[in-house]
Amino acid sequence: MEFSQLVQNTMNGLAIGSVYAIFALGYTLVFSILGIINFAHGAVFTLGAYFTYTLVVGQFENNGLLKGINLFPDGSPFSGSALSFGLATLIGAVLAGLVAVLIERLAFRPMRARGADPLLALVSSLGVALVLVNLIQLLVGAEIYNFPSNAYGEVKPALAFQIGDKTVVIRTVQIIIFLVSLVMLAILGYVIGRTKIGKALRAVAENPGTASLLGISVDRFILITFFLSGFLGGLAGTLVGTAFGVAGPYFGVTYGLKGLAVIVLGGLGSIPGAVLGGLVIGLAEAFVPADYSAYKDAVAFALLFVILLVRPQGLLGKAVIQKV
Amino acid sequence: MNDFVSTYGFLIVTLLQAGLLGLSLYFPLQAGQLSLASPGFYALGGYVAAIMLTHPTFAGIRDALGHGVFPLTWLVAALLSGVLGLVVGIPALRLRGIYLALATIAFVEILRVLSLNLQITGGAIGIFGIPQAFGFQDRWQYVFLFGPLLVLTLLFAYQLERSRVGRALRAIREDELAADAMGVPPTRYKVLAFVIGAVLAGIVGSMSAPFLNTWNAKQGTFDASIAILAFVLIGGSRNIWGPVVGGALLTAVPEVLRFLSDWRLIINGLVLVVASLYLPQGIVGALERLRRPRPPERPAALPPAEVRP
Repeated sequence: MEFSQLVQNTMNGLAIGSVYAIFALGYTLVFSILGIINFAHGAVFTLGAYFTYTLVVGQFENNGLLKGINLFPDGSPFSGSALSFGLATLIGAVLAGLVAVLIERLAFRPMRARGADPLLALVSSLGVALVLVNLIQLLVGAEIYNFPSNAYGEVKPALAFQIGDKTVVIRTVQIIIFLVSLVMLAILGYVIGRTKIGKALRAVAENPGTASLLGISVDRFILITFFLSGFLGGLAGTLVGTAFGVAGPYFGVTYGLKGLAVIVLGGLGSIPGAVLGGLVIGLAEAFVPADYSAYKDAVAFALLFVILLVRPQGLLGKAVIQKV
Repeated sequence: MNDFVSTYGFLIVTLLQAGLLGLSLYFPLQAGQLSLASPGFYALGGYVAAIMLTHPTFAGIRDALGHGVFPLTWLVAALLSGVLGLVVGIPALRLRGIYLALATIAFVEILRVLSLNLQITGGAIGIFGIPQAFGFQDRWQYVFLFGPLLVLTLLFAYQLERSRVGRALRAIREDELAADAMGVPPTRYKVLAFVIGAVLAGIVGSMSAPFLNTWNAKQGTFDASIAILAFVLIGGSRNIWGPVVGGALLTAVPEVLRFLSDWRLIINGLVLVVASLYLPQGIVGALERLRRPRPPERPAALPPAEVRP
């Protein structure tokens, strides 16, 4: 492989890998607290993209029940500059976070209250995902929606530079994705590692019983966890949507599955693990030779399968010894 | 009667098929292993039948065997699924709980991407024009294939549960370490249960390819894994009737709700949420509890002392 190709692939891999990382963090946060995988996380990802799209464009043209409704008849206040697009993205992610909170209330809390088999919580979260995805389809149809090119204002389309006689092109979107993800990771790392909220969250993750004895309101911190999880998932949805368009209600399904591969690869419940897993899978996919690009979607799962066999606790996970 | 059969024949066969797929997941679950691999083996079995029934390479065998080629496809599908089940099962069953579920999801996804891209599986278009089994004229006639298979499987499951193997599986489900300590080798039995499920799913797939007339990568997806898991958990995971009832019911719900058109999948999702909340033992579990109410509390050893003011 030529050096220019190496640079290009690395850049592509880092951009997509960083989205995988923040998306997968949403899974891992919930898993570390509840020990359950929230299968509705992919649907939250999709919703985040749609929320931002709604704020930026204000209407859906193709079909669905929302067709013909125009939220901003005079042009959306959220499009036309990078700043307002950023604001729309932020609100979109907050809304996705609120949906995740709702999912917790509907699908997980009643289960916890009854001490039900965790498997049933899994099925319940799948049911919620089914509801959400089909609701989206009902409301806005199954078409791809592309963010209009002026949505994020006068941002230069791409960064190109020469290496030898080859040109390496990095799309602005990729740089934005990478930077936003990096900032999110830094903030999250700070919140969890250094703040009081983070300390409480870690306590709840370690042992909910003891945490509640220490005066931590476990239910409240579970809600906070779900909010953070949905926020990250929704943000990831918008970022991917900006790069490739919002590809219908089933947009999040593939990401949902790849996110699982990411967190298992890194180590279930491990935050640095999710980041590492995301980058590893992003890079691995970027380096799949063009001739085999059709097999790209299998890379994450092949890695997942291999890591489960070689090191089931994942790259950075702790081995769990089963209690006798 | 004819009207009924032609209207509902397809649905009835689909219900039987759903029950069978539910059972294929039920076998590993009996040993406490949550495997979502069934759609992978189902897809494999379907491709085996589709290829054997349409590919030019097998024209000679088809001509020589006539209708006998159909049982042959079942046999080959069962064998291949069994072998693949062993190959995947032996390493994967070292994993527990959610890890095994994720490994089997990965297995299904890898198979899906492969079938989407290989030449022999027809790529994204898949394989079409698969001849009807035994020259069946109507889809409802597949009842004659899926019906007996379901009965046989139920008999087998019933016998298995009462056998030494069945007791070993239950012991592993309740407490693997204790079972191991008692001399029940967990891995061997877990792999056995997994392979039984794989073989069953493979056979169902090989019968389904002619039934559907076409076979493609959509047959074995994560969605299918979830649907089948829901069959078992909603129906009841501790009784052989659970997967059958759950499969039939969850396949019928969208049909019955057809008049709701776009809303039916939403209702389907709500059914999953509500059922997992209110029927933790599944429908069959709940019925059993109704039929056999909990034994009355044993009286305390000593009558409580009377409290006098």
